[in-house]
Amino acid sequence: MTNFIQLVVVGLSSGFAYALVGIGMVLIHRTTGIVNFAQGAFAVMGGLVTATLVDDVPTFLAVVLAVLLVAFVGGVMGFVAFGRRGRTTLLASLIITLGLALLTSAVHLLVFTDVPRTYPRISDTSWDLGGVTVDPQYVLIGAVALTSALLLTFVLRRTIVGNALVACSDSRRAAELVGLSVRSLAVLSFAVSAALGGLAGALIIPLIPLTYDSDVSIAVNGFAAAAFGGLDSIRGALAGGLVLGIAENLVIGYIDPQYQLAIGLVIMLMIISWRSRHEVAT
Amino acid sequence: MTALLEVDHLQVRYGPAVAVDGVSLRLDAGERVALIGPNGAGKSSLLNAICGVIKPAEGRVRVDGRDVTGAAPGTVVRKGISQVPEGRQVFQSLPVESNLLLGAYGRVFTGELVSSTLRYLSGRAETRARLERIYELLPKLRELRERPAGQTSGGEQQMVAIGRALMADPRLLAIDELSLGLAPLVVQSLATFLRALNEEQGVALLLVEQNAQLAFELCTRAYVLEAGRCVLEGPSAELQRNEVVRNAYLGGGLEVAPA
Repeated sequence: MTNFIQLVVVGLSSGFAYALVGIGMVLIHRTTGIVNFAQGAFAVMGGLVTATLVDDVPTFLAVVLAVLLVAFVGGVMGFVAFGRRGRTTLLASLIITLGLALLTSAVHLLVFTDVPRTYPRISDTSWDLGGVTVDPQYVLIGAVALTSALLLTFVLRRTIVGNALVACSDSRRAAELVGLSVRSLAVLSFAVSAALGGLAGALIIPLIPLTYDSDVSIAVNGFAAAAFGGLDSIRGALAGGLVLGIAENLVIGYIDPQYQLAIGLVIMLMIISWRSRHEVAT
Repeated sequence: MTALLEVDHLQVRYGPAVAVDGVSLRLDAGERVALIGPNGAGKSSLLNAICGVIKPAEGRVRVDGRDVTGAAPGTVVRKGISQVPEGRQVFQSLPVESNLLLGAYGRVFTGELVSSTLRYLSGRAETRARLERIYELLPKLRELRERPAGQTSGGEQQMVAIGRALMADPRLLAIDELSLGLAPLVVQSLATFLRALNEEQGVALLLVEQNAQLAFELCTRAYVLEAGRCVLEGPSAELQRNEVVRNAYLGGGLEVAPA
């Protein structure tokens, strides 16, 4: 039983990271309709840049700088992927994000080589709760993910900029007609999503070292988390990330670590086929 | 005198298909003008080309004599033309009040996010005052202000869409299919409201309508579009007496298609 709880606790920590990546996907999808495959690359960039910067600056500052850089890169990607008004189709945008993900991965390989990177956790000590080890890093990730989800929900509901993002997802035509620049809002949603992804990478890398090619598995898991809520729900992505993290870790603990990525894919396929059937039925 | 809106030989194409084929029209400040015609005549395409949603292939659109052809929708809004789109297109998941406020945000949104938002925030007192005025004009919206717009009736959504457009303080309100999918009584009360808005506040109206009866009642002049061309234009009273218009649009002898 203790072993089971331990696996769940560890699973929660990666689950929160998937949730952050998934929430970013939800935000972009809601605002622009684009499924952003570069979301995994954001996380890897956040992680690798932080792991490099910690050699020179305090960890907190390293995380902040890395997240800002990723947000900037994300905004630029959004600008490119969104394309020209009325000219770029969603499919084209989606393929552009795939291409940008590959490009980013190549840049990571050039800059950071193929050595897995990591940096020390926030604390060497860990808490022992009745035989279950809880690392402060897990708590940090959980707190950051929950705070981000709450903050984003608040912004979308209560601020004019957030409302404008929601407006784009409700009716892009009407958003344009009232004078909103859907393109600027798309860039904003990419930048915010990139920041969330970068944060996930920066906080998970002390626990799970990342390399230039970790982005595919992160993107798949983030997408699976987002798909859990139909790509449109922040709460759904949060729940999806946690379910996925736990399921994955149980597979690692009880079956075989090499099925780790497969579980994400299987869950994703199950959800998608269930949802499509469900939606046809109603 | 310069017209508020002047459309000069406008042509809209979708690939090889010509939706609007050289239409010209003119609308002066404070006028009520209708665009009528059957489904697919190019009315909505013309309106969307005026509002900057689609780029015309040829021709010019001028507001107060200034060329706005091919400008972004936001530019046209800032020149004083706001559109109420076909099918209302309210922001469903947002409360009614947020829908209205976005109308004001859109007016100051110039593509650059930070400065636009600061401009909106610094003009909040004025926005509040305009919101109050719209609640006075459409008291129903005040009652519904916290309800998600998607959970209101069709007529109420039309009010939300009109209110949202009015938040930009337009001089011309362009309405795409006012009556579409609404009960006759609801349409009547909206028409009464729009007439009062025009007469008391001086907001000009450009009404795109399939219901010619309604268009003639509400507007003083009309253009008749068929297959992308303007086939007739004139005062409503005159067009109402026109034989062709009577037959085609006012139910004076239905044309029955051969089986």
